[in-house]
Amino acid sequence: MRELVTQAWIVARKDLVLEFRTRTALFSAVVFTALVLVVFNFGRDPTAVATIDLAPSILWVTFTFAAMLTLNRAFQLELENQALEGLLVAPLSRASLYWGKLLANLVFVAVVEAVGLPLFVLFFNVPVAHVLGPLVGVIALATVGFVAVGTLFSALLIRLRFAELMLPVLLLPFLIPPLVAAVQVTAHLLGGRPLSEVAGWLRLLAAYDVTFVSLATVLFRYTVDE
Amino acid sequence: MTLLNRGRLITLLGLASLAGVYVRALAFTPTERLQGAAQKIYYLHVPAAIWTETAMILVGVAGVFYLFLHDARLDRFAAASAEVGTVFATIVLTTGPIWGKPIWGTWWTWDARLTSMLLLFFLYVGYLLLRGAVADPELRARYSAVLGICGAALVPFIHFSVYFFPTLHPQPIILKPSAPSLPWSMLVTWLYALAAFTLLYIGFVVQRYALSLARDAAGGAERAHG
Amino acid sequence: MADVPLTGGYMVAAYVVTAVILLAYTLSLYLRTRRP
Repeated sequence: MRELVTQAWIVARKDLVLEFRTRTALFSAVVFTALVLVVFNFGRDPTAVATIDLAPSILWVTFTFAAMLTLNRAFQLELENQALEGLLVAPLSRASLYWGKLLANLVFVAVVEAVGLPLFVLFFNVPVAHVLGPLVGVIALATVGFVAVGTLFSALLIRLRFAELMLPVLLLPFLIPPLVAAVQVTAHLLGGRPLSEVAGWLRLLAAYDVTFVSLATVLFRYTVDE
Repeated sequence: MTLLNRGRLITLLGLASLAGVYVRALAFTPTERLQGAAQKIYYLHVPAAIWTETAMILVGVAGVFYLFLHDARLDRFAAASAEVGTVFATIVLTTGPIWGKPIWGTWWTWDARLTSMLLLFFLYVGYLLLRGAVADPELRARYSAVLGICGAALVPFIHFSVYFFPTLHPQPIILKPSAPSLPWSMLVTWLYALAAFTLLYIGFVVQRYALSLARDAAGGAERAHG
Repeated sequence: MADVPLTGGYMVAAYVVTAVILLAYTLSLYLRTRRP
């Protein structure tokens, strides 16, 4: 177990250091998020529909796009530098390779979300201070779900043509159950409803995360080994 | 009799049974009072839906066994089940709205069951696209197994959303814990329809399997002589 | 007692569509498995 954590951290740190040095992918994801929020603003008629009704959907569409963008580049770096083979012959277990990638991707998406959420609050005038804790909690739960499956699939597609096109196609059905749950919980939170009302959705999110992180950990070696 | 011919025979039996179901449903089964004749779409829609889901689960199960046993037969079966599942999903997604329009007043609603069928359809399409994108048979089988397993694991999550989401969809009247509440004559028609679709699933899968087998054999022959 | 709604057209449409899809797939399989 300790071995797994150490190895995973090595992999994650490499990705994180590389990315924070260049920051290109992060910047484009953040800018894209801001852009999506701005477009949403121009797309709505504030006199017709209350912002608060649209808010959960806007937030989650934005986060989903951001996660997709980030995942697309997940293995790009390895592919470009043909470093994947190097990673594979290194004395790293496949599980720790997955967890390392997962961790790094989670950090990237978290950074984008950490910028996106305040922007969202600002642009749409949505009061979140009173529910910030639970809101961050549900964002974290759903994000783990997206990124767990997305990391596995981006490894799967790395050697294929049209990988960037295929990732959203493959990922879409997997994103919808956690997305539905996340939007429901967010809507309840923003509407001032008690969390207990959405306990079912939260359980669904938790079960989803546990299931797919475990499944991805086990299946990861089948996607990268020759 | 060759495998292919057995498949063709079963398919013909299935089509003949379905023809019998058509006659029985249209002429010899009472018309439901509240919905009128459109209710009879139920006899086609529900068995097709059952097999759409079952086919996906079988794709996943075949995937699990493939990863352990590396038997190409399992992969051929998975490919066949996926293709047939897609065909049945198309039937569900076309008969659903045709039934929904007179009953609910609208062609499409984001009703939980219809939405889950749509997600299953995307799962199938993604699976078939992935298979099409990988040339090497062993790699293709492995990648398909990974995706198929994830897809089958997703099915219960798609299901749980049904029970949490307020829905227009009729609640189950056959597949529920207490006894079916359908009048006997209608239940018999439904059972015949389920049998017909079962025969069709088996016949189609056997034929599609035989097709894969023939292609693999031809490919092998080319490699031997080429 | 209310009249039964006249929804026969939809029923026919659904039955026809289902038959078309199944027959089309049967034909597709037949064409692909024929020995040329």
